[in-house]
Amino acid sequence: MPKITDRGIANIYTKLETEQRSNPNVKIGQKQALEILAAVGDRAGWSSQSVLKQLEKPGITQAAQVEIAKKGITATERKDLEKILDTGTVPLEPNARAFLEAVLGRTSPLPPPPPPVGNGNLRIDGNQAAGLTGSAKAGDSIEAINLSAAPSGRLTLEDTMVIGKADASGQFKNARLTGDQAIQEGDLIRMRARHADGTAGDWVTVKAAGVAGADTRNAAVAIFRIGLTDQGGGKIGVENINASRQVSEPGAQLQLTNARTGEKTRVTIDDKGSFPAGFTVPGKAGDVFSVAASDGKNNTNFATEVGKLTVPGGAPATGDLIKDPALHKDELNTDGTAKFSTKRFTGPLFKDGPSAKDVQQGQIGDCYFPSAMAALAQNNSEAIQKMIKENGDGTYTVTFKEKDWSTGRYKDVPIKVDGDLYVRSWGGPLYGASLGADKGEKTMELWFPLVEKAYATWKGSYNDIGNGGMSSDVFQEVLGKDGQDLSIKYAQPDKLWSTIKTAIDNKQPVSAGTYGDDQDALYTNTGVHSDHSYSVLGYKEVNGEKLVTIRNPWGETEPAGNGPNDGIFDLPLKDFQKLYQTLMYTN
Amino acid sequence: MAKPPEPLQEVLPKATWVVDAEVVEVLKQGPAPEKKVARAGASDTGQKTASQTVKLKIKRVLKGEQVSEMIVEKPEAGYALRAGNHGPFLIDDSKMILGRYGPDSYAFSKLEEALKK
Repeated sequence: MPKITDRGIANIYTKLETEQRSNPNVKIGQKQALEILAAVGDRAGWSSQSVLKQLEKPGITQAAQVEIAKKGITATERKDLEKILDTGTVPLEPNARAFLEAVLGRTSPLPPPPPPVGNGNLRIDGNQAAGLTGSAKAGDSIEAINLSAAPSGRLTLEDTMVIGKADASGQFKNARLTGDQAIQEGDLIRMRARHADGTAGDWVTVKAAGVAGADTRNAAVAIFRIGLTDQGGGKIGVENINASRQVSEPGAQLQLTNARTGEKTRVTIDDKGSFPAGFTVPGKAGDVFSVAASDGKNNTNFATEVGKLTVPGGAPATGDLIKDPALHKDELNTDGTAKFSTKRFTGPLFKDGPSAKDVQQGQIGDCYFPSAMAALAQNNSEAIQKMIKENGDGTYTVTFKEKDWSTGRYKDVPIKVDGDLYVRSWGGPLYGASLGADKGEKTMELWFPLVEKAYATWKGSYNDIGNGGMSSDVFQEVLGKDGQDLSIKYAQPDKLWSTIKTAIDNKQPVSAGTYGDDQDALYTNTGVHSDHSYSVLGYKEVNGEKLVTIRNPWGETEPAGNGPNDGIFDLPLKDFQKLYQTLMYTN
Repeated sequence: MAKPPEPLQEVLPKATWVVDAEVVEVLKQGPAPEKKVARAGASDTGQKTASQTVKLKIKRVLKGEQVSEMIVEKPEAGYALRAGNHGPFLIDDSKMILGRYGPDSYAFSKLEEALKK
């Protein structure tokens, strides 16, 4: 921990260090950098609060912010800044680092902001240091989407966020995209003005400038949306398998390298974030392609790989690539030999990103696991995308989190598995599978069965995961943060309702377990099963009645009158409280 | 035990009767199975309930010899029956109820579709 001398800076930094100790994800970002600069820029007649106001003035450029800080900097404060940058324990986001370094003169002055962009409906200032500022028709709502951030999530190009409203003079100021959509330097922001009559103007796309010293976010790639198809004749078709969502940001270049031939092919992503129609690369079924991307500023030599993709239909690698976890004891003969054999699955990891409806529990008592994974897919699908990686050699690495109880911190536990799954006599997977009719070895979506297999490998065997458990433990082991359990029976209905709402609204996974033991008679003919764990997908209020939306991890079986038998049903809160024992979630 | 019901294609061939029935009386209950030790709140522990002998009133026979009443055995399983419980019962030739959850194992529509094949 660096010894900070200036009291104002020390207060801010100590607070950040404390936060970072309990949450390792805490970093110094743009907001914290401005607070530090306000403490640096204070001087006689200028408190840090008044300096902060100056720094946050609408339309201020980053160069001007740097100058304000420089005016008040003392030798002590300079040393403190150097300590934060060079020996600090709290990590800095690249843009915040560049910003603070500019104050010390360790980087070249920032370039002037680009000119405003726009059309007849909407104009946006060229500098977004204090947010998006511009003009539209008086009363227009301003909608925006960060095209550089969107590929990582499930947003379509039309899933805009209303970020502000033009005032009577047509001006809007300091509008911001928040959360996963927060703007970084160089991001592509697509905006439009929605008029009072509900119609919308044309799109305007602006490249974010002035947010930070340098563009350090490379083009994100939704590798799970890239579909490869052997077209014959040495050609592999490359397409976005969900054209309503982006593969990457418009203008980004993707390089596909065939691991067998070494041949590299580059393609520019079109205005809709997809591949140009009819795009192909040379190759054949079974070839493995390494995918790299560049936005023109980052990874320009394509040295950093995003991931690997295999063209379906090739001859699978022979031999057991990685030892499989042993079967559950129920599936072993008395002499310990297995009743079931394995089959190699080579389908895509994701067909369109993870979704709760992908998950189907198999013939194993691990309902807490599929219900947890479906809850995660529903509310934090990015966590699943990040935890599993195709290695391009027929193996996959699934990374779990394990708590070190001595420090309270979580460490990564990477588990490598191959695509071999135990199968029934008719070929379908014995344990977890992708829900739906497609159980084909070359076509079934693989993320869920492989994550379950990796979990069994980590814990020892399918027997070690197949005798009951808690979804909150799984949340913890995927997200690296403590899971919470709430006794439903003893919770006040309002407290129960607000806990569910808060968790769902904050994109946290939620599951609920039913009673077991001697209460089975409570459940017969209710459509809900005892000793079982369900995902809580959402909540709603209909005519004043509070309803909890629940999913059975079997992908079927639910109370009557809930539409198709897909395992998803709404239960009044009072029935939920009667039938369910424990609510499991993360904060 | 909250494993999913066994695949229907594996259970249906073992069923001598498939009936739409209601439990009219629980005639006998076996000893309580061994209690599983599990963490409080844990799901899918596999705890089973005692076996039962029950009398069924048959409303409709979908497969098998026509009967109006049957006395059948419910094995130790993750469900319990009481008078008034109803639904499709799959019963083997020893009068044992098949399907992990008895009348809650399979929907009528799924059974009727499978029986047509």
